[in-house]
Amino acid sequence: MGTRKQMIRDGVFMAAVLLGAFAVNLVLLELFGTRSMIPMIFVLGVMLVSCHTTGYFWGIAASLLSVLAVNYAFTYPYWAFDLISPECISAAVVMLIVASLTSTLTTKLKCQEQVKAEAENERMRGDLLRAVSHDLRTPLTSIYGACSVMLDNYDDLPREKHLKLLQDVCADAQWLVRMVENLLSITRVDGVRVKLAKQDTVLEELTDAVLVKFRKHYPNQTVQISLPEEFVSVPMEAMLMELVLMNLLENAVHHARGMKNLWLKAFVKGNRVYFQVEDDGCGIPEDRLPRLFTGLLPSQTPRDASRSSMGIGLSVCSAIIKAHGGKITARNRPEGGASFCFWLEMEDTDHVKQ
Amino acid sequence: MSNNKYKILIVEDDRNIASFVQMIFETNGYQVLTAEQCRQGLLMFTSHMPDLVLLDLGLPDMDGEVFIRRVRAESAVPIIVLSARSDESDKVSSLDSGANDYITKPFGTAELLARVRAALRTNRSSLRAAALDGCFRVDDLCINYDRRQVTIAGEPVHLTQTEYNILALLSQHTGKVMTYSSIIREIWGAMDNGNVKKLQVNMANIRKKLGCRPGDNRYVTNELGVGYRMLDE
Repeated sequence: MGTRKQMIRDGVFMAAVLLGAFAVNLVLLELFGTRSMIPMIFVLGVMLVSCHTTGYFWGIAASLLSVLAVNYAFTYPYWAFDLISPECISAAVVMLIVASLTSTLTTKLKCQEQVKAEAENERMRGDLLRAVSHDLRTPLTSIYGACSVMLDNYDDLPREKHLKLLQDVCADAQWLVRMVENLLSITRVDGVRVKLAKQDTVLEELTDAVLVKFRKHYPNQTVQISLPEEFVSVPMEAMLMELVLMNLLENAVHHARGMKNLWLKAFVKGNRVYFQVEDDGCGIPEDRLPRLFTGLLPSQTPRDASRSSMGIGLSVCSAIIKAHGGKITARNRPEGGASFCFWLEMEDTDHVKQ
Repeated sequence: MSNNKYKILIVEDDRNIASFVQMIFETNGYQVLTAEQCRQGLLMFTSHMPDLVLLDLGLPDMDGEVFIRRVRAESAVPIIVLSARSDESDKVSSLDSGANDYITKPFGTAELLARVRAALRTNRSSLRAAALDGCFRVDDLCINYDRRQVTIAGEPVHLTQTEYNILALLSQHTGKVMTYSSIIREIWGAMDNGNVKKLQVNMANIRKKLGCRPGDNRYVTNELGVGYRMLDE
């Protein structure tokens, strides 16, 4: 939750601002010998505190403390409290009003931002759902169709027709399995508060698991590997990262026409591990690069849209990487072909995502 | 002759899955018993004494782990767990409570049969090691338990004490997934978090010395987030 941390931070912030205001006032008093600026400086401090802390508490606390400070140090009698004079009480009231108004405003503003973010999230989820249901219907239709053909005409169909239909059913079912895995992983990382079950995962073991799986599906496609020599362990949710690498490799197989080489590289730079999946196929059309990770294909791509999970696959990748605190990018290589790159932090700073 | 078949008990509540799994095994020469619930499964287990149990973890009437412990209390019969994806902790805890292996749904015929064969063989692997002059062999890897020596295609591999111990431990449970914690318990005794890293570093060294490349591990496979498994075929 992090509320405790937040409270400590807010408290420290308030104390720092008030001490700062106090010090500035002392300096000004020394320089100009006038007291006219003092309340203004404190009002400024109270506003700062109200703006940058959560809720009303710290703003109001700051205003009360400011009143006490002014009363104690800068009004007659100096360096002593005089809490019952009407001047002091009215100053306190003004400060309180400033604090509560500012706090109200900032709280409202923060609320609005959250509502906006939520609406955006909701819209993306809706888009994704629409795309997914459309994508799911196609293989389901063909599975259902193939099965009913076989059931209705079992004796009329020659053996090889049966085999062909069954192979199609099998392929469609496998596609569905991968799709559902992607969707499941989205529900894991697409929440308001993401809590990943990170485990230290050895880079080599991750690559190994991905390659074993990849070879099972695409035995004819070789992948050229380049890994750091030393032992590298990265905190991550291994299943999800496996899915990311699988998606990127699979995308290359399905979409990089004319591909001869497929590379999977990983290297360490500073506190980050970089992963690269590159191919020397046809590359990505420039106009699609900016919207590649947002979850939707442009609607005018019927060519291979029937079985392309590319849009969803990539938005899943992006969501998973984001939840891990990293970033994924795509570009075309100058030599031709596409290049996907993402990085992860090596040491877990374990920030709580709000 | 017909009574020589291996007997497999399938505990699975989904009829479609149970029926196709049953079909797979029957066409491959196994005898199959099915139970839809844990209690029924336990009854059938005690009355039929199957050679292997295939258990679905998400059964309505009882926790799958309780089932595993009850069976383990009276028998060392191999148990293979069918688990849905995304619950890694389930895998680890069922392995730790005594299951031999797990298969994630959905699975293919070939994979299922291979795992079952491996599990059935595991039960005899200690015999196998003894029969072959005290050596364990997989592919071109050979572990000589008496001389504590490992060779690949006849060439000796120089392992440290700990590395040898880990490899020997895995080979004694060949075909079975050993969880990180169970390996650590056997090798170092205590269980603390830093040890998983120690184990991973040791495994990285073992792989390097055995000449394994990623995606091409012929002897020991990684089960990400769960543990390691010595291959046996």
